[in-house]
Amino acid sequence: MPVSNSLRSLLPVLILLVLFALVPLLSPSNRFLSLAISAGINVIALYGLSVLFGQTGILSMGHAALVGIGAYTAAIVARDFNVGFWLSIPLAGIMAAIVAALIGVPSLRVSGHHFVIMTFAFGQLLSIILTNGGDYTGAASGLDVQQPVALFGLSMDVLTHYYLMVVSFVALSAIASWAIINSRYGRTLRAIRENEKLAASLGINVGRHKIGAFVVSGIFAGVSGVLLAYFLRHISPSQFASFPSIYLALMVMIGGARLLLGPLAGGILVAFLPELLNLDPVQSRILYGVCLIAVILLLPNGLIAGIVAGWYRFFDRRPVQPNEPAVEREGK
Amino acid sequence: MGALLDIKGLRKEFGGVTALAGVDLTVNEGEILGVVGPNGSGKTTLFNCVTGVHKPTAGTVSWRGRDLTGIPANAVSRAGIAYTFQQAMAFTGLSVFENVQIATEHCSNTLANFPWTTPASLLEFVGLSGLSEEKAGILPFGRLRLLGLALALATRPSLILLDEPAAGLNDRETTTLVHLVEQFPEHGISVCVIDHDMKLMQMLCRRLAVLDFGSKIADGPTADVLNDPKVLEVYLGGAL
Ligand SMILES: Nc1ncnc2c1ncn2[C@@H]1O[C@H](COP(=O)(O)OP(=O)(O)OP(=O)(O)O)[C@@H](O)[C@H]1O
Ligand SMILES: [Mg+2]
Repeated sequence: MPVSNSLRSLLPVLILLVLFALVPLLSPSNRFLSLAISAGINVIALYGLSVLFGQTGILSMGHAALVGIGAYTAAIVARDFNVGFWLSIPLAGIMAAIVAALIGVPSLRVSGHHFVIMTFAFGQLLSIILTNGGDYTGAASGLDVQQPVALFGLSMDVLTHYYLMVVSFVALSAIASWAIINSRYGRTLRAIRENEKLAASLGINVGRHKIGAFVVSGIFAGVSGVLLAYFLRHISPSQFASFPSIYLALMVMIGGARLLLGPLAGGILVAFLPELLNLDPVQSRILYGVCLIAVILLLPNGLIAGIVAGWYRFFDRRPVQPNEPAVEREGK
Repeated sequence: MGALLDIKGLRKEFGGVTALAGVDLTVNEGEILGVVGPNGSGKTTLFNCVTGVHKPTAGTVSWRGRDLTGIPANAVSRAGIAYTFQQAMAFTGLSVFENVQIATEHCSNTLANFPWTTPASLLEFVGLSGLSEEKAGILPFGRLRLLGLALALATRPSLILLDEPAAGLNDRETTTLVHLVEQFPEHGISVCVIDHDMKLMQMLCRRLAVLDFGSKIADGPTADVLNDPKVLEVYLGGAL
């Protein structure tokens, strides 16, 4: 795919993020900024999940646990070694990557179904370990994170600043995800998604690349965990148990995992929809369930892909992105 | 002209079914060898056991003197053996160009004077240049087979295994295919081909091996094999 062509998928995302960065000028409420920060932190993990699910075609049902590895790594190195925010970003990324490799090696060598179950079990296991970790993990009540966050002497603990920092991290994740999608590596992952048997016959080491994709998605999750820990200032095991994992999977499915706008749309929708419709937690869970069923039945490649397909059908034109099967699936 | 691929005593059982009952077969450098046999005689299983799709129950596969028995499919490809599947296969959700691009990007073999090193040259060779931006999934069956051939060629193989490459093709497409495959040996690519179309096999192969119930019952010059009473018996009332 020519670079100019592939840039067209990145540009709308970057333009949107620039617009989001201007939002503080409208003096939004703290409540709004907090919601937006949580959404953005999720979107970072979703960009990793989109490499795994959208490109490679494997789904993790325990991704919040990898976010948790990142968050706990940040909290523990801050407490025990006085390591601050910035250094804990690479540390958390590496820890989450290592843990992803440890789960991936035994479970991805077998098959996709095993993997879904293994990741789910890992999510449960992690919250059991964290809950029973005594003082080291803070048990059920969790850990506080006290280190201040600053950039070039500017305090990031001001809500608006933290918001802008999260928007920048979202932009970086989108660019990283875009770079992966348009690289030789991304093509390799798509080949595996499309046909494992054929991919192997062309010399591709399918098992190793699946593990690699899970590790890459783990790095995104780990980084997102650090941002979460420093935003909330307190983390506990329940935040990384099975429900948050299912939510992440749901967001990536609703938004669509293959197009670059998908994770952004999924993360924002799931964070803001209950707020907009004024729903309580139970109602919003029901709404998510209904949304998920609707998306799976009507728009199998997610909301964004569905809108793009509708757009091109309406104007009777061919889509610009040759590697996106959304339109074809829609047409059948 | 030595043996490139040397299969000895190859055996494959699926539960109680013996698909291969100890087959010996050699493919020589520079030849186009044909493998025929009735449905279910074990032809595809033979290819699958050589290419790492299945692990053989017993027997050995050696490649230029190196033992390849039971190694994974991607390693077989890297050793220089390419495979086109009986069910035509491509990455159907990706563009035709991207399909071939992926295959060339993963090629780790070096074959001197190999003429098709870029996606564009491969697509031109199989006559799909005009369709490079199309999604592979929309290609008609014959074109999909040609794309599969381009993918296999992209790995720069020294040996290519073709499982029923002409099945589902019309006469014109079959002629095109024969024309393409005939050129392989002069570029250093030996061929082993399975097909039920005896006319095609007579055009392509000087040597023919016949499988029946997982055993090799004949192996020799095409004309001799086709007149072998054992072979005639297997095909009684059939294709011959
Ligand atoms: N994966 C499998 N599991 C169980 N049995 C199998 C498997 N693959 C092949 N067989 C059996 O092995 C035998 C040989 O099958 P194979 O596909 O090799 O035949 P073939 O000669 O290629 O036939 P055809 O000409 O129809 O393609 C058959 O009895 C088949 O049912
Ligand atoms: Mg067969």
